[in-house]
Formats: sequence, C-alpha cells, structure tokens
Amino acid sequence: LTAPPRQGQCPTLSIPPVLPVGASGPLVKLANLLSRSHLATSLPLPSERDHLRPRMDLVVFMIDIKSKYSLKNVETSLAYVDASFFLGKVCFLVTGVGRVNACSIETNAVRKLGETYCSPVLFCELELEGIRAATAQRLVRMLRICAGLVPGVSALSFVSLMRKSDDD
Amino acid sequence: MQRRRSSKTPKQPLSIPNKSQTDLSAWRKGGKIDPEKSVQNNQSADDQKCESQEGSLEQALSYFQKAQDSVAPKKKSVEQEHLDAVESTALEQGLPPEGFEILLKVVLSGTFADTVNTRLLKSLIPASVIPENSVVTAVSWLCVGKCSSNIQLLFLKWLITMFDFIDHKEQLNALYGFFFSFLQDEKLCPYVCHVLYLLTRKENVRPFRIRTLLDLQAKMGMQSHLQALLSLYKLFCPEQVTITLPGRMKTYFKNSEGPWKAAITAVRQRNQGSSPLSQAVFLGTSQPQSRKRKWNAQLVIPASSASTKHLDEDREKSCFYLCSPNESFPVEQLQTFPQLLQNIHRLEFPSQMGSVLTNPLLLHYMNCVKDESIYLRLYYWMGQRLQEECPWCVVDNPYEEEFRSFLETVYKAECFLQEGFSACEEFLYKTLPLWDGICCRSEFLRLVSWIPLSSFSDIKPYLFDPLAQLFFTSSIYFKCSVLESLKELLQNWLIRSVIQMDLEISSVNTTLSGLVNTVAELVHFVGWISTVAMRLENNSTFLLYFILDFYGTVCDIYLKYNLPLLIMPPAGVFYPALLSMDSVNLNQLCYIMYRYRANLVAAKENELSKKKILQFKFSNRTYQEYNQYIIAMVGCLWTSSAFQKDTHPQGLCMDDKLLSKSAVKEVKSSFNIVYHPAMMGYSVKFLQQICPGDTALNFKLIKGKKWDWYLEYLYSRGLRGLKAFIESSISRVSQAARSKAGNADV
Repeated sequence: LTAPPRQGQCPTLSIPPVLPVGASGPLVKLANLLSRSHLATSLPLPSERDHLRPRMDLVVFMIDIKSKYSLKNVETSLAYVDASFFLGKVCFLVTGVGRVNACSIETNAVRKLGETYCSPVLFCELELEGIRAATAQRLVRMLRICAGLVPGVSALSFVSLMRKSDDD
Repeated sequence: MQRRRSSKTPKQPLSIPNKSQTDLSAWRKGGKIDPEKSVQNNQSADDQKCESQEGSLEQALSYFQKAQDSVAPKKKSVEQEHLDAVESTALEQGLPPEGFEILLKVVLSGTFADTVNTRLLKSLIPASVIPENSVVTAVSWLCVGKCSSNIQLLFLKWLITMFDFIDHKEQLNALYGFFFSFLQDEKLCPYVCHVLYLLTRKENVRPFRIRTLLDLQAKMGMQSHLQALLSLYKLFCPEQVTITLPGRMKTYFKNSEGPWKAAITAVRQRNQGSSPLSQAVFLGTSQPQSRKRKWNAQLVIPASSASTKHLDEDREKSCFYLCSPNESFPVEQLQTFPQLLQNIHRLEFPSQMGSVLTNPLLLHYMNCVKDESIYLRLYYWMGQRLQEECPWCVVDNPYEEEFRSFLETVYKAECFLQEGFSACEEFLYKTLPLWDGICCRSEFLRLVSWIPLSSFSDIKPYLFDPLAQLFFTSSIYFKCSVLESLKELLQNWLIRSVIQMDLEISSVNTTLSGLVNTVAELVHFVGWISTVAMRLENNSTFLLYFILDFYGTVCDIYLKYNLPLLIMPPAGVFYPALLSMDSVNLNQLCYIMYRYRANLVAAKENELSKKKILQFKFSNRTYQEYNQYIIAMVGCLWTSSAFQKDTHPQGLCMDDKLLSKSAVKEVKSSFNIVYHPAMMGYSVKFLQQICPGDTALNFKLIKGKKWDWYLEYLYSRGLRGLKAFIESSISRVSQAARSKAGNADV
C-alpha cells in the first residue's frame, strides 16, 4: 500500500487531471486529447516529484488486447494503487479490439479483472481517429463525475451503476 | 452435364490474329462502355488522353494474344510496357469485356512468369460486365493445369470476388462437376467450396457429391467451408444429408477480396453515372442509387437483362425459360408483381442472396415461402458481410459510408418484413460492447429496435448491459437516440405480443405471463436509465421530452395492445417533469396521466362487470401509486396544496417552517397553473390581454370567471394535454363541463 500516486504539474485548466497508465503509441494520442492527463507507463510513479503532483481523480489502466505483456504490466501496477481509488476512480480501457485476429488476451480475462477490482471495463480501438475522440469524450464525462462536478452523482454511485447490471 | 457452347469457337472477332487493331476499334466505336467519351465531338485533353490509353491497351492486348503462340524470347521492357498499360487502364476505367478472354487465357496457360500472371490477375477489373465465355475458357485452361498452384488460387479468389459481374451463369453452372473435382486439392479446397456455394442449385445436389464431402470431412476434420456447403446441400435436399450439422454456426468463408477491393471501389466511383450498362439495375424499384456503393454489395444485379446488345440472345433464353416447365425462373427477369405470382412456384434465388434485400418482390416471396435454405443463405451472407465490414471491429476497413448505407438497407428490409434478421441480432450482440457510440450511430440504433421478443434476462447481458454502460458515458444526443430506439423496440415487442397471443390461445397462461414479464422488465430498465440520465444531464428539457415520449407509449399498453400491464413512471422522471420549466413537457405529462387514468378506469370496469374471466387484474399498489401522483399533480396545478398533501417519499412535502423560509407571500395559495414556472408566461400574456393598460401584474385577478377564461386561453394555446387532464381529473370542471362524476381519486 502506498500513498495515492501523484505526478508533475500541468498548466491549470478547469478539467481535473486523469492518469492513463499503459504503454503504446495510440495511447499517447489519446492522452493528448485529454488535455490534463499525466501519462505513465507503469506504477509506482517516481517519488522525486511527489510534492508537485496534484490530486488524481481518475486512473485509467490501458490494456492492449494484442499483448500479454500489457496485461501483466497492469496487474503489477494495480498493487501500487491506494485502496480508496477503487471506489469509483479506476477504470480499465481495453484497446485494439479492431483486430480480432490478433487478440492474445481473452476478453473474459479482462472482464474478470474488472470484477475483481470493482471497476468498469471499456472497449475501444485507438487506431481510428474518430473512435479515439469519442473515447476521450467518454473518459472526460466519467472524470467530471469522479471529480465531483456533477451534483447528485458521486464516483461510487456511478461505478455501481456501471456495474449494477453485472451483479444482477 | 454438357456445355451448351464449346469454348473453342468464340463468337468475338478477336480470334482473327492480324486484325486486332480494327477489331478493338470496332469495340471502341460500337457498343462502347463510355459512350460519352466517343460520341463527343470536342477534342478535349481528356479525350485525347483516353484515346491514347485505349490505343495502348489495344496494343497490349494484341501483344499478349500473340505472345501465347510465339516461341520467340520475350523482351522484358516490352512486356513491362504492356503490363503497365493494362494495369493503368484497369485501375482507371476497368477493362472492356473483350479483354478478359485474352488475358485469362494468357494467365492460366502459364505463358509468362508468375509475377506477370499475378499482376495481370490483379488488374482484371471489369468496366461493366465479364463475359461468361471468358470464364469458361479460363476454367478449361485451369483444368489443363499449366499454371502454378499459386496462380490457380489467385484465379479462384478472383472468380469469387468478381462473381456478380459475370453476365450469365448457366454455363458456369454446367461446369459444376469440374469445380467439384478441385475439392481434392487441399490448398484450393476452401475457395472451391466458396465458388460451389455461390453456384449450387437444387439440381446440383447429388448423393455422390454428398458422399465426397463427407469423406473429405472425415479426412480433414470439420472445416467451416465444408460445413457451409454441406448445410446448403442439407437445406436443398434434407432427406439426402442425414448427418446432424450444428444449427446456426458462425461459419463463413475467408474473405477473398483483398487485392481488388480498393481498385474496384475506385472504378465504380469513376464510372458512376457514365452509362446505363455500368449501372446496376434495380428490379422494379425506384430507389436512387448511392454514390459510393461498394462494388460487390448486394445492390449489383447483372446488367444483362437491360443490355440491348444481347437482346436477341436474351429473348431466346427467356422464351426457353418460360416455356419449359421444369426450368426455374431466374430472378433477374422478375419485373412485376403479376410475374411473381405466375412464377412463384419455380423461382430461383440469385447466388448472392444480398440482392434480395433491395427487391420488394423477392421480399414478398421470402415472407410467404417456407424454404429454409433462403433464410440460411441470407444468414450466412449477411453475417459475413456485417462482421467483415464493421468499421470499429475491423481497423483496416475504411468504408464507413458504405457500411452505413448497408445497415440502412438491412433496416428497411426488416421494416418491410416486420421482423428482425437473426444474423443482424448476433452482429449487434457481438459488436455492441466494442462500439464507441458515434460510428454509424443512427443506423446501428435503429437496428436495435428490431431485436426479436424473447426472455429479457437472456438478452440482458448481451444487449442492455453494454447499452447502459455506453448510455451513462455518452453525450445527451446519444442518450436521446437510445431512448427513441428503445421506444420503437417496445412498440415492436407489443405488436409481436399481440400476434403471439392471438396464435397461442390454448396456452394463454404461460405465454401471457412471460410476455408481460419481458415487457415490464424493459419498461423498468428504461425507467432506471432515465432517472439516472436526468441526474447526469441536470434535468435537461430536451432529454425529458424523449423520456416522456417513451412513457407516452407505456401509458396506453392496456387499451391499445390488450396486455394487462400498467407501469407508472419513476419518481425521478415524474417530479422533474411536474416541476419542469417549460410547458411542452408539463403538457405531455398531463396527457400521459390522463391516459393512465383512462386505462385504469377501463380495467376497473372490466373487473367489476365480470364480462371476461380475467387472469390478471391490476394490484392495489398500482392504484395507490397513481393516486399519489395525482394528488401531487392536482396540488401543483389546481389547489396549491402539493406541499402539504404529497405523501410520496421522494415528493414535494415540506413543512411550514421550511416553506416560510422561501419568503413567498401567501405561500399556501401560490403554486398552481397561474404561478407555475412553466405557465407564468401564459398567465402574464393573459393578464396583458384582459387588463391592457395595467403595468402591475396582479395575478390575484385570475379567479372566478376569469379563471375559466384563463383555462380557455390555455387550451387555445395548444395545451391539449392539460385540457384533457383537467377535464378528467378535476371534479369541479368535469361536473361543470359534462356533468360526469370524475373524481380526483379513482
């Protein structure tokens, strides 16, 4: 268990920060669309700049469905996330679904990961520009809720909505 | 089987070697593919370029023709030049029909090296049609086996890709046995299976062929292509194929289009509108053709039936078909409804089942015939097409426009048949979790509305869960689109349930409760997501409109569809609507509550009169819910007593201390249709009309007679829902208006 991860400062905007974790080219493009995102390839974040990091509101773990390595990377990084984040501030994003033939991870494995950590799993294909933009918009909407900008909806209630169907 | 015409005596004049120049120019002057280009008199630069290009094509074709017979060593540079000519013409305009015979002969006779053959095959793109003779010649050379196996494979792929462009297929069908013999070659087997799948007709299914396929299966194991062919055989002649095949497997053939895909699209786009021959012929429909239609989409039907050049041949053939009773009637000649009725017993479906989708005559036929093979073929074809061209599932496929129009075609066919396709349903379940919510949005959501009626809990994890996840994270417009398509889904299910109840009168107990449960769960699901959506979008008026539209269908389920179901909207929808800031939503809410009342009253009457033996009656809880809402509504609109009387746990009840903090004078009589925020505009306008000079708006003036005038004024502004509600639920008005005892409480 470590303290909640923080990272270097960005110019202040009204959008709270999001932390995508993972490693791939299209991921960088997605991160660019999310204007205040702090990209990390894995956790734990380096501790040198701890004091400069703002409070994170959403941690997005990116899993590339074509590489088993990315799943392992995410699984090890999960251990470094403070438990309080799993009350609605963590989300798994699976990319690469556009190439069904190149999948080396089963979607069931990822869904199970989402269930174990009580966090929603989103699927997308980041190589296509249109889908990248749409996914970024979806993440921003989730982010607004996690940061408390939507009155009456908390991160925890929202994540339970996203998962309500699974439990039924 | 015999070939009806020997391929050794082609009818084209190209067999005379030395006159190639004049022959091809005869083609150029005669039945030309691009008449505009040759008829135009002005010598534009384009014309000159085309002519030089055609000239070089002619030279290339004559070179290739001669090269087959000559034994002199071939010069690389000359070869390159002619290859380039062929390739560039093919990519720009497509090759003329006469060129195919020469080039196919050259390729399959192994005259040149494999690299040349591959390039030639990849440029065999038609400008309009491919003459059947050329393919027959090609097959005969294929049987000789002079070319390498890679070229054989590529030729088969080409044949599959270009199948729709071949003008006639009777001779090809006669070669069925020759194709069948190629099944033994392991490398070619999948593609040969695909070709056979396209060619098979009922008379081709023979016991020895079935035995061969079963032997192959025993040798190679269950392959998807063998299975597809066996399933097709089984449907044509179920008594002959006795093995059990897995029902609706996702079997499909590997995509063979690769090398020609981009080129074909380019040619189609360029030649769009240039001549009637190059356009597809729609049988009896007057649909405008889309600009960017993918070449091998179902919409292409061979142009032979419209070609005036081959009119004599066609007439011969058509007489032949109509005269002999054993022959089946090819669907290309179906033009009118009376023709359909005359030939309905011997109609033969086209090889590419997709052409059925745009042809209303064939859809009529599909509706009434019991032939399972049609549905299976359509299922395979549609499943494959949907899966391979889905833009968000197949990254390399950039043809979003075409996919969108394809989805639209499927939707229109579903509307025509009034039911969904199972291939479509499976496609939705498979791709919904991966969808981003923007690509082809309206077309995709419209397909959702045709999901067949089945147990809600079965389809929930495939449809409603991923839909909910997308719904909560997407824009307000997406939310509204989803609500609209769920409303249509509800309507389709209700209609289907009416039909099902009529048909299964004997087991009405089990069927009815199952249907009611499914519909009820759908309504509860929509109520749940609507409540959340109102919170997420901060009580948006636009969103509320769509939600109330959905409940506009729900409120009349009992009276319109005779299903014993009445579900009130959840509090998270009702109260925001009651307190909304705009009159449209308030009006709609009034109308919906009026309809609920009508349904409840009718149900009570039926129960009391005991005319029918009811298996179901609405529980007291339903009436109680309705009463609670009505109290709140009347309190808000009429008696200003909502804050005292509303007992709903999520309602408006507030104690006096809290109310006094609002600093509103006479708080207990200041919330009704005069003071309601949505109605303030109307009351101000009304006051201005009755007291024209008065600048101080004195709302207290609206009482007694003026109150009735005010009501009339509101009705005249189009608030018909309000009118219906007030006249039915407010006793004073009802008594005054119609002397009917209509109480606020039912």
